[in-house]
Amino acid sequence: MSAIIEIRNITKEFKVLNRREGLKGSLKDLFSRDYKIVRAVDNISMTIEQGEIVGYLGPNGAGKSTTIKMMTGVLEPTSGEILVGGNVPYQNRTKNAQEIGVVFGQRSQLWWALPLIESFKLLKDIYQIPDKEYDGMLALYQSLVDIEPLLHKPVRQMSLGQRTLSDILAAFLHNPKIVFLDEPTIGLDVSMKAKIRTLIQALNREKHTTVILTTHDMGDVDALCRRIVIIDKGKMLYDNDMEHLKGFFGSYRTLKIRVDGDLKAHAEEIAKELPECSVSADEEWISILVDEDKATVMEVLGTLQTAHSIRDMQLQEISTEEVIKKIYEEGVQ
Amino acid sequence: MQKKGIRFYLRIYCKILAQDLKSKMSYRADFIISTVGMIFTNISGFVSFWILFRSFPSLNGWSYYEMLFLYGFSLVSITPVQCFFDNNWSLRQNVYSGDFIKYCFRPINLFFYYQSEVFDIKGLGQLAFGIGTLIYAWVKIGLPFSVLMLLKMTVFLLTASLVMIALQNAAAASCFWIENSFYVLDLVCRFKDYAKYPITIFSPVFRFIFTFLMPIAFIAYYPSLVVLRPDAVPLLSWLSPLVGIAFFFVSYKIWMRGAMKYSGTGS
Repeated sequence: MSAIIEIRNITKEFKVLNRREGLKGSLKDLFSRDYKIVRAVDNISMTIEQGEIVGYLGPNGAGKSTTIKMMTGVLEPTSGEILVGGNVPYQNRTKNAQEIGVVFGQRSQLWWALPLIESFKLLKDIYQIPDKEYDGMLALYQSLVDIEPLLHKPVRQMSLGQRTLSDILAAFLHNPKIVFLDEPTIGLDVSMKAKIRTLIQALNREKHTTVILTTHDMGDVDALCRRIVIIDKGKMLYDNDMEHLKGFFGSYRTLKIRVDGDLKAHAEEIAKELPECSVSADEEWISILVDEDKATVMEVLGTLQTAHSIRDMQLQEISTEEVIKKIYEEGVQ
Repeated sequence: MQKKGIRFYLRIYCKILAQDLKSKMSYRADFIISTVGMIFTNISGFVSFWILFRSFPSLNGWSYYEMLFLYGFSLVSITPVQCFFDNNWSLRQNVYSGDFIKYCFRPINLFFYYQSEVFDIKGLGQLAFGIGTLIYAWVKIGLPFSVLMLLKMTVFLLTASLVMIALQNAAAASCFWIENSFYVLDLVCRFKDYAKYPITIFSPVFRFIFTFLMPIAFIAYYPSLVVLRPDAVPLLSWLSPLVGIAFFFVSYKIWMRGAMKYSGTGS
C-alpha cells in the first residue's frame, strides 16, 4: 500500500469583514476594513492509502468542505502541505482533476439536457479515456447496476436517485485514483441508498479507488468505511478504525428489562444493587447501561434475576450514530 | 495523455455544440418562439433607426447608408458574444448559489468549459440580419468590391467582436468580487447600443470614454472606417485588431483570476 493523499499540518484562514447592524452599519461597512480572521481548518494532518474508503465526518460548519476543496485544488491552504497523487492540487489544478472524481450530493455535474450516454461520451473526450478502458468501464457498470434505462434519459428528467447514481458513475468513469463523495445519499429512499452503497463498495473493490466520503448518514459509514476521520471547529478529533470508535467511550451496552410491579421503584432498587451501572426507567422498560469493562452483561443479568422476576428483556449495542453524537457534543476526552 | 491544444478544444466544442443543438431542437416551441422574438427585436431596432433617419438625411457628415453600414457592422460584431459567451449572464447566479464549483473539477480550461456549456442559437438570426444590412449598405454606397476588401472586413469584424466579448467577460467577472454585480453587466450591455453611432457625434468627453475607458468605439466605428473611408483612416482604426486582441486577453486574465480565487459556498 502506498499513500495517495498526504496532508501535513494544513491550516486555512478566511478574512471575514466584521459586519455592523442596520442601514447605518452597512454604510459604514462600505468603507471599513475591519476584518477578523476565521480559521476554518486548523492544523490537520493525515495520510490516506490507495484503496481506502475513509469516512470524513463532522458537524455542519466543521471545516469538511474546506478540507475537500483544498484536496481538490479549489482552495489554497494558508499554510501546510497537501500532496494528492504526488501533485500539489492548487498549483496543478487541471492535472489533479485528471486523477480525481468529485460528486456533490445535490449538485449534478452532468450536462443537464443531455442523455447520460452523451455525457459519458463527452467525458471520454475530456478525460481522453482510451476506447478499451471506456468500454471496459461501461461493461463493469452494466454488471453492477441496471444502467440501460438511464443511458438514454436526459439528466433533467431523472429522479434524484437516478441522478445521484449517474453522477457517481460519471465520477468513476475515467478511473480516477481518488473519488470524493459529498453526501451521496442525501435525500434518497432506503432502497436507493442501499443500491448506491453497494455500487460504491463494488467500484472500490474492482478499481481499488480511494474514496473520501463525507456524510451525515451513519448508515453510509457503517456500510462502507473501515476508517473514519472526525473534525470539528477545524480541528481533528478522531482518526482511526471504526472498531476503535465503538469502544471509544468504554464498551457500553444497554440492557433493557421489564418486570412486574412499579418500574420506578424497581429501578431505584436496581440502582442500589448495581452501583457501577446507570439505571433509568420509562413507562415500559428499565434501561441499564452496562460498562463491560467493569461487569459483563451476563453477570448483571444474574444479579438481577435473583431479586426480580424478569418478564422480558432486550440488549442494545451502542450505535455509531450515538458515538458520533457524543463526540460532536462532548468532544474527545 | 496527449497535450491539449486548440484542436482538442475545437473537437470538444463541436461535440458539445452538436449535442446542445440536438437537445434544443427537442424543445420545438421554445426554439420557434425565441427565433421569432429575435427577428422582431431586430426589425424593431431597424425600424426605429429608419424613422430617425427619415428626419435627418445625414448626421454630422454621415449619410444614411453610411450609418446603416455602421449599424450592420455592429450587429455582426456583437454576434459572437451573443452566440458563444451567453453563459456569462448566468455566471453571477452560478457563483452566488455555489454551483460554479462544479466547473472547477475538470481537467480542461475553466473559462472554455464554462462558456462551452451554452450556445445561443438566436444570435444566428442577428448575424443574418447584420450581414444583409452590411451588403445592402455596401451596394448603396457603391463601395468597390475585391477579395482584399473582403479579407479586411473579415479580420476587422472578428477583432471588433473580441472587444465586445472582452467587455462582457470583464463585466461578468466582476461577480467574483462584487455581490450585486448584475448592474455592471447590464450597464455594459446598454452601452453597446452606442456602438452603432459614429463617435464624432458625441462630445469630446464621451469620445474619450468610448475610445479608451469603455472602448465601444472599437466595436463598429474605428474598424469600419478602414472600409468606409479608405482615404483618411486614422491610426486607431489600424490598431483596432490589436486593441481587440489585447482587450480580450486582459479580460480573460481577469475572468480566470476571479475564478481561481472563487471559494464556493458551504454545502
